[in-house]
Amino acid sequence: MSLIHKKTKKQKNLAMVIVGDRCIGCDACYVSCKTDWDVPAMKEAFRTKVFEVEGEDVHGNPTIGFLPTLCNHCDNAPCVDVCPTGASFKRDEDGIVLVEPDMCIGCKACMVACPYDARYYNEEEQTVDKCTFCLPRISNGLDPACVTTCVGESRNFGDLNDTDSNVSKMLKDATSIYKLKEDEGTSPNVYYVTLNY
Amino acid sequence: MSRHNISRRGFLKLAGASSVAITAGITGIPSPLKASAQQEASRGARFLKYDRGVESPNFCEMCFWNCGVNVYTRKGIIHKLEGNKLNPNNRGHLCAKGNAGIQSTYDADRIQSPLIRTGKRGEGKFKKVSWEEAYKYVYKKLNPLIDEFGPETLATFMHGTGEPYPHMLTMALGSPNITIPAYSQCMGSREMAWALTFGTGVSGHETFDMANSKHMIIFGRNFAGAVQVREAEDFAEGLARGSRLTYIDPRQSESAVRATDWLQINPGTDMALALGFIHVIIRDNLANMDFVRKYCYGYNELSEHIKKYTPKWASEKTGIDAKTIERIAWEFAKDAPNVVAIPPRRMTRYGNDTQTVRAIAILNALMGNWGVPGGIFIRNKVPVDFPKEEHPDAPDARRADGVGEGEKFPLAPPSLGRTNGIYEATLTKKPYPIKAWLLYGTNPLSHSSIGVNSLYKAIDNLELIIAIDTQFSDTVMYADVIFPESTYLERYDAPYAQKDKTPFIALRKPAIKPIYDTKGCFEICKGIAKEFDLDDWFEKSPEEQVEELSQILSKEQMETLEKDGVLLFEDVDPYPNASGSALNFSTSTGKVQLYVKDLEEMAKKQGDDFSPLPIYKDPVVPKKGEFRMLFGRTPHHSHARSQNNWILLELQDDTPVWMNPKDAKKMGFKDGDMVSLVNAKTGHKSDHSERLKVTKRIKEGSVFIHHGFGHTTKAWSRGYEKGTKENWFISDDVDPLSGAAAFHNGFVKVVKA
Repeated sequence: MSLIHKKTKKQKNLAMVIVGDRCIGCDACYVSCKTDWDVPAMKEAFRTKVFEVEGEDVHGNPTIGFLPTLCNHCDNAPCVDVCPTGASFKRDEDGIVLVEPDMCIGCKACMVACPYDARYYNEEEQTVDKCTFCLPRISNGLDPACVTTCVGESRNFGDLNDTDSNVSKMLKDATSIYKLKEDEGTSPNVYYVTLNY
Repeated sequence: MSRHNISRRGFLKLAGASSVAITAGITGIPSPLKASAQQEASRGARFLKYDRGVESPNFCEMCFWNCGVNVYTRKGIIHKLEGNKLNPNNRGHLCAKGNAGIQSTYDADRIQSPLIRTGKRGEGKFKKVSWEEAYKYVYKKLNPLIDEFGPETLATFMHGTGEPYPHMLTMALGSPNITIPAYSQCMGSREMAWALTFGTGVSGHETFDMANSKHMIIFGRNFAGAVQVREAEDFAEGLARGSRLTYIDPRQSESAVRATDWLQINPGTDMALALGFIHVIIRDNLANMDFVRKYCYGYNELSEHIKKYTPKWASEKTGIDAKTIERIAWEFAKDAPNVVAIPPRRMTRYGNDTQTVRAIAILNALMGNWGVPGGIFIRNKVPVDFPKEEHPDAPDARRADGVGEGEKFPLAPPSLGRTNGIYEATLTKKPYPIKAWLLYGTNPLSHSSIGVNSLYKAIDNLELIIAIDTQFSDTVMYADVIFPESTYLERYDAPYAQKDKTPFIALRKPAIKPIYDTKGCFEICKGIAKEFDLDDWFEKSPEEQVEELSQILSKEQMETLEKDGVLLFEDVDPYPNASGSALNFSTSTGKVQLYVKDLEEMAKKQGDDFSPLPIYKDPVVPKKGEFRMLFGRTPHHSHARSQNNWILLELQDDTPVWMNPKDAKKMGFKDGDMVSLVNAKTGHKSDHSERLKVTKRIKEGSVFIHHGFGHTTKAWSRGYEKGTKENWFISDDVDPLSGAAAFHNGFVKVVKA
């Protein structure tokens, strides 16, 4: 797939850095996002979602963790590769992956291709929809809706090409960094970190 | 090209696009339908525009916490709510409930006009009436009752920012029976214990300095699950900065998972654990004796009293290892005074709640953490002289809820009252008949109101139920006359002044005109008062009170408030002890009362429950085959206000029954089985079956469900019969000191559905 993906150097490398243990699972992000972008009233329709993951530690004690998820705005985006019309595309200037509704035919190939389940089908609009890193907001000087409301201040957003940005500093200081399903070769731009301060 | 353009769809149909597309997707072959150069160029242009709309100041009413909100309105339609960054209650963030406030306003299930009941009570048949008709109806029904039984036959329940107005109305009519459910259903026992010890309550906006703490011992206050925004932030911040967290709860909550030590305690034994900690601290000379000598009363009595409560003894009661109790007490004392022991918010559990919180208060006092960063901060008043409003004289009549001097609960505050006492009086007609209820934003039939098992009978004794609300809650469905209130996004309210670490004033202005035929609580209560010729008491409307601010505040302050929606008074010291200032305690001894002399007389007459030092008593336990019924909040809902909100129902619309794997094995149940709950005392069986969640996160012998579900109001197209109502399964015990409820002494059987 990477053969057909045009890779250019981005002016900005926008990324979300999520401090894993600061997410309290309150789901404020889910509601803030759905409200701002008129995401339809159905459980299956969302641009971001927090999963509660129950497990056990080595002693057999129960554990739970929270995993906030959203579009990873992959550098090597399978959704873009499979889109038959070019409606799904990745912006050269900042790496944001978008769906242009006028061009989307609703074939859902991208939904199948996305390893992160980050897309949903909007029945009303008959198009696929997804997280835009809140491009309309950030183009107008605002933070993304989910970052703005995040109660635990778990979500952070910024430009990794800017070494002074909050997110660059966090990645530098992180004691651990992971990204979801990196082995699929997607080069995601959502980072999950642990910080020791 | 429009998004709904038919020719576009027609084109795609002709091209057989779907199948082509999927093939292309799977094989990765570039599609013949790829964008033209022109389309390429225009792609994404729509994503660069964002119309924020008009901003108006508000504060949230989805729960009692009142976070600062900026409301954004496009062409008369509210588009988005965002947290006000300058408001200390939330610092720019909103929780899921707060973000979903719009959906509660644009809810076609809302009460849309004044209504008078036409069918049987609870049947849900009403006729639309004019405001005048509704006001006159109240007069026609209430006046004869007042004539026959006296004004005290009216009891009022209030919850929400409009509280001053039903309060004024009830006082003017001459009834003392005004209650705020937050006392007997939630914080009463905690507040009383704090007041007996420190001379002040914790308050609704709690004074625990978690962000700066080095060790928090939390007795089941679920900051991450029962979200009040600032507290959740401080909790997360404190942990991120490396605070230890000892979390005590039979259930592993969202907060417990973050603990350094999660102690899965035997339910009802928290006092034994606190006493065990105190024993170790005194035995090993770990108390902050500078603070104790200077500010505490009764250390010697405490030292003598605590000798019997050894870690070994505490271990037997709590099920927590004695060595762990010792270790945690040592660790806690090591980091003093920047440590805090936190009682629950809803301390209506086992009937020993006031004395349990007394033990927790003593634990704090021994650390000398009062007025210290990381401990307990001091609240400061808003330093503004608001004009004093005239109030009617306090009614002479005796209260019906057992509150007041010479009554069963002489220590309980008349300003808050006991809702559970009113329910009992309504049912038993003692000490006198209660014939009318005025409900403002409260929903006794649904939400943890003590005595719910007999509440429907109590309602039969009422001649008149008046409801002021935005929504048809279960109880509003039983009302005889209903006044629809405008939501917080549609109305003014009086300026909001909060005593706090950083005191502040916040504004609420309507973002839109009322969608339906609704009014603010002020106008409604004034309208009722007018029928009784009492409307002179309602002098200034909320809007006038907001306008009046410009005469009270300086020009500069007023500009800041108008610009920011909030005005902070930062020149205050929340940490006077750390700053070296002397502390004052408004207790009867003027000191922190480790030993409460005020209780001596009551203890002599009424026994150990009233002891000046907490005396441990074993909790009542379920019989074989029964389970203790525990319940708690979910981050997605707040009582009744959120339960018909579609976006919040997406996040949670059921109440799985949590059960420990060992119990499930004994019962022959497996995860995912459908079960029902049966009240072991009343035999009431849940009419709703639930999925069994088998998990070690709940202690053996107890089951857990989330609070606030199972509504029976058919007016709610979405929230109707979602989940189980815990109300049917909780106990109607009371705490003997505070008179507040003891819900967790309710026991259930679990049966296959």
